[in-house]
Amino acid sequence: MTSTSVIDELKRAQILELLEQGKRVDGRALDESRELKIETNAIPKANGSARIYLGDTEVICGVKIQPDRPFPDTGDKGLFMCTAELLPLSHPTVETGPPQPPVIELARVTDRGIRESHMIDVSQLVIEKDKSVVGVFADNVVVDYDGNLFDACSYAATAALLNSKTPTWEMVDEKPTLVEGEEKQLPINTIPVSVTMAKIGNYIVVDPNGDEWDVMDSRVTITTDSDGNICALQKGGSDGFTQDEINQCGDLSIKVGAKIREQLKSVQQETQ
Amino acid sequence: MADKRKYVIPGDVITSGPFRPEQNVVLEGNNIVATAVGISEIYEDSVKVIPLTGKYIPKINDLVIGKVISHTSLSWELDVNSCYVGFLPAQDVFGRDFSTHADELSSKLKTGDLVAARIANFDRTRDPLVTISDRDLGKIDDGVLVKISPSKVPRLIGKKGSMIQMIEMATNAAVTIGQNGWVVISCETEEGLSKAKRAVEMVNEKAHIANLTDLIKDMLDGKDES
Repeated sequence: MTSTSVIDELKRAQILELLEQGKRVDGRALDESRELKIETNAIPKANGSARIYLGDTEVICGVKIQPDRPFPDTGDKGLFMCTAELLPLSHPTVETGPPQPPVIELARVTDRGIRESHMIDVSQLVIEKDKSVVGVFADNVVVDYDGNLFDACSYAATAALLNSKTPTWEMVDEKPTLVEGEEKQLPINTIPVSVTMAKIGNYIVVDPNGDEWDVMDSRVTITTDSDGNICALQKGGSDGFTQDEINQCGDLSIKVGAKIREQLKSVQQETQ
Repeated sequence: MADKRKYVIPGDVITSGPFRPEQNVVLEGNNIVATAVGISEIYEDSVKVIPLTGKYIPKINDLVIGKVISHTSLSWELDVNSCYVGFLPAQDVFGRDFSTHADELSSKLKTGDLVAARIANFDRTRDPLVTISDRDLGKIDDGVLVKISPSKVPRLIGKKGSMIQMIEMATNAAVTIGQNGWVVISCETEEGLSKAKRAVEMVNEKAHIANLTDLIKDMLDGKDES
């Protein structure tokens, strides 16, 4: 977002006061994430898509799969890229124009979580080594903002990828040519789930909403894979975490992530 | 009393004839055409459209709730839920002998503070000038901010303040209503606070219903019993 939103002091006081009593402004437990709703096939013409609601945060993700040239040093691997952007409609402070640092961070954290979990087996996406590979592009767009875009974009992209069907290409005259009528699921290794935790005062809250996002001192986003291994981590905000707090966040991300993974799994099963 | 109330969308011809166009209408030839979605009202000599939603348009002498968003060395800027920002000059708080060298603005009001203010001057060409130097105006220290649509503020107040009095009586809460749709509710008890908050939100959602007062009354009473 371009200009930061200013939270009123009364709300800040209320959030801090409630945390002292172990409560949150929207009545959730400290380690409880908001309700996640996933709608697949939000964009019928895309190779895969999803629209997700995380509380009042809403994100649409579309997946485009097309042949591309591989990077010179990784000719035996397909491409995967994930982006994220905010619609001016999503929040009063969002402006059009080139993305600002927080939005760039959002895209990178979302991309990294999925990439480093090795969710997609890119080695299976090769049409001809060093010449042509399949590229998978997941593009997120935030439609409505109420905090925690990191997780919302990650869930949207993951759901869209699980929902994707990839066409098949073969090399004809040095050019990748579409093989009609052959569609299959992407080669999926694992389901990454990102969990963002905010530190407000001395309290750690999972999945901060818009108000909590404005109040928090620092945050950490941890992505885990299906085996419960941590594969990506991003810390933000001016305050620090103690070693105990980071350990606590790690445990939380595995615990909370497991529940969300079940929801994402059902998307995968529907597509099969 | 206004007659011929009807729902209009932009472009609808409300009436034609010798009427004065007021809020949200324009005169096109002889026709008076709506420029907003809302309810049209034809008075004896004027026509206006009460919008169903929209940002707050400042009016002189309105009481508003503002949020400090930034300050310069001479003034504060207030978010007043409008397309304009409220301009609060430092002299208003520090008095006439305000000096940019000696007085630090953030010592009195800092970013994020809520204030009850009055629109002192506004003519649409410049940002509205607001003042907090009056009785009952100034920084708000406790309570909860509830945001409703500015067009529904008259409904929340009710005829001669009937609606708001009823809510205040039933919950023992103090409700400060800004004409800009921002409402601050403070109450000694947690229960009264949440009930008053629910009542205000209910008015916002159901402003178009005819017997809203009874509905709110039922809600306030019903919760008393449980």
